[in-house]
Amino acid sequence: MSDFKMPKGFTVKPFMLVIAVVILLLLTGVFMSIFIVEPREQGVILRFGKFDRIVEPGLNFKIPFGIETSHIVPTQFVLKEEFGFRTVRAGNGRSVYSPSQFTDESSMLTGDLNIVDVEWIIQYRITDPLLWLFRVDNQTKAIRDISQSIVNLLVGDRAILDVIGSERTAIEIAGQDMMNELFDRYNLGIRVTTLQLQNIVPPKGSVQNAFEDVNKAIQDRSRLINEGKQAYNEQIPRAKGEAEAFIREAEGYAVERLNKAEGDVARFLSVLTEYRRSPDVTRTRLYYEMFEEIFGDEKSGDLIDKNLKNFVPFKTVGGN
Amino acid sequence: MKGKFLVIFSVVVLTVSFLGFNSLFIITEGEQAIVVRLGRIENVHTDAGLKVKVPFIDNVVKYSTKILSWDGEAQRLPTVENQFIWVDATARWRITDPRKFYESVATITMAQSRLDDVIDSSVRSVISSNPIREAVRNSNIINEIERKDVYRASDDDDELDPESLSVIAMTETSYTRIIKGRNEISNEILERAKRITPDYGITLIDIVIRQIKYSDDLTESVYNRMIKERSQIAQAFRSDGEGKKAKWLGEMNRELRSIRSEAYRRAEEIRGLADARAAAVYSDAYNRDPEFYAFWKSIESYKETLPKFNKTLTTDSEYFKYLHDKRGR
Repeated sequence: MSDFKMPKGFTVKPFMLVIAVVILLLLTGVFMSIFIVEPREQGVILRFGKFDRIVEPGLNFKIPFGIETSHIVPTQFVLKEEFGFRTVRAGNGRSVYSPSQFTDESSMLTGDLNIVDVEWIIQYRITDPLLWLFRVDNQTKAIRDISQSIVNLLVGDRAILDVIGSERTAIEIAGQDMMNELFDRYNLGIRVTTLQLQNIVPPKGSVQNAFEDVNKAIQDRSRLINEGKQAYNEQIPRAKGEAEAFIREAEGYAVERLNKAEGDVARFLSVLTEYRRSPDVTRTRLYYEMFEEIFGDEKSGDLIDKNLKNFVPFKTVGGN
Repeated sequence: MKGKFLVIFSVVVLTVSFLGFNSLFIITEGEQAIVVRLGRIENVHTDAGLKVKVPFIDNVVKYSTKILSWDGEAQRLPTVENQFIWVDATARWRITDPRKFYESVATITMAQSRLDDVIDSSVRSVISSNPIREAVRNSNIINEIERKDVYRASDDDDELDPESLSVIAMTETSYTRIIKGRNEISNEILERAKRITPDYGITLIDIVIRQIKYSDDLTESVYNRMIKERSQIAQAFRSDGEGKKAKWLGEMNRELRSIRSEAYRRAEEIRGLADARAAAVYSDAYNRDPEFYAFWKSIESYKETLPKFNKTLTTDSEYFKYLHDKRGR
């Protein structure tokens, strides 16, 4: 665009000023009347403060100079509120949470008059932008106050172990219904889509330790019972085996004993048969064989004559 | 003359537009207004839009039509059993009669301060005349919940039968029935406060208890109670484990002794039987000729034992029968 050059001898006349101002006003008006509604949003247009219409995402126009005002509302977003904790940085897999405690929100009494720490989130969507904008002041505070009081009530109605364990889902469902009922009554124009309980734990410190100790005790109990069972299952089969072996040994002994007896006896019986056939001869033979066996190896020996008091050296007959 | 006309014209235009602008005002959605003329309330507008007033003389006071919230400080209150608890309540309210509102409190700040007094005292009266369980609980559902898997035991759950579990872990306690409950208590508080608020042009929509906590000293003793309860349960589990283990070991020892003594008995039986049969074999054989047996056995015995002795013979032995006489002695 080329520079605007003042031609020589050009004087500014009053009516030109007026035209310039009018053009300026027109341009301003045009700029002020255009506004963009992002996708997932909606716009509420008030004319002279009174509701006129709702506009959809895209390029939109309103009467400028304050005659019509536009108010943008994120209607397709899922909005979230956290209680008892805060996410410092949301991550893909791992979010980072604030290390501070929010016991003002999280510490609650249970129906059995115990104390428990409850963390939860709610998710909601704005369903009616007109109601959302103009029916309730400080909408976030109203949502948080109501949510807190409802969860407080539901937890207070149940025993601590039920809250920690089996009643979680019941609380989530009842809580969501109760919140929506109340918000409808206020004409808040939102719908709570989720109430999700997160960590529910006994108060930190020795109380929590005491609760955890019960879990440990259950494990200890199982371990002890298993020790008993295991000892049984180890020892009994082994003892049965040993008992079997012991009996087998006795049986072996029995066989051995009998065999030996029969062996010993067999020898005697065969000699007896011989003896019966020729008693004297057998007897004599046996007697002299015994002597030979006992004294045959003797290198030196002493023979004493029964009538003498001295030793007589034993000599073979025929020698000197 | 043209110049003067222009000036007068501009002044007139400006004055008219100035007056015009000052005679109009806008009430946005969510707002309401009263128009005060010379100290008197002239008009009340509760709907949104472009409105007219007398310029400069009329004063427009705007109020919200939205639902507003009241948030008091938590109060430390005694229940009827004289237990001190912190009760944190919030309320929702609206200005439904702007005229009365203007005449009585005029500003939100003043209204909040008035509500502080009204609601705090209402909360105090109701809480202190009721037992703590009525404020904490809402129903008797606590007695109806079936407690099955309260204690997640290990895989062999056949060891943990429900009866013994409930004895160990006190899962079958029942709680005093409540008559009113938290919602009704909140309603009572609301009804009390609602009697007064219309004077201020205010409608109270609800009063809810956002949180109840024990006072600090009470918290300590509750913690101790909780810890003690848990340790008792832990102890019960461990003792049960010890007991069952001892049963197993006892059973094992009993059976061991039975097995071993039985084996001993049978082995002895077998041995005894064998000994008897061997003895029978011997005596059966040897009894056929006891005298010969004696001779033979002695012979065998001498063969066994005598080689070990140092021997000195006398000629008195039968062996030497033919030594001195070839025909025998």
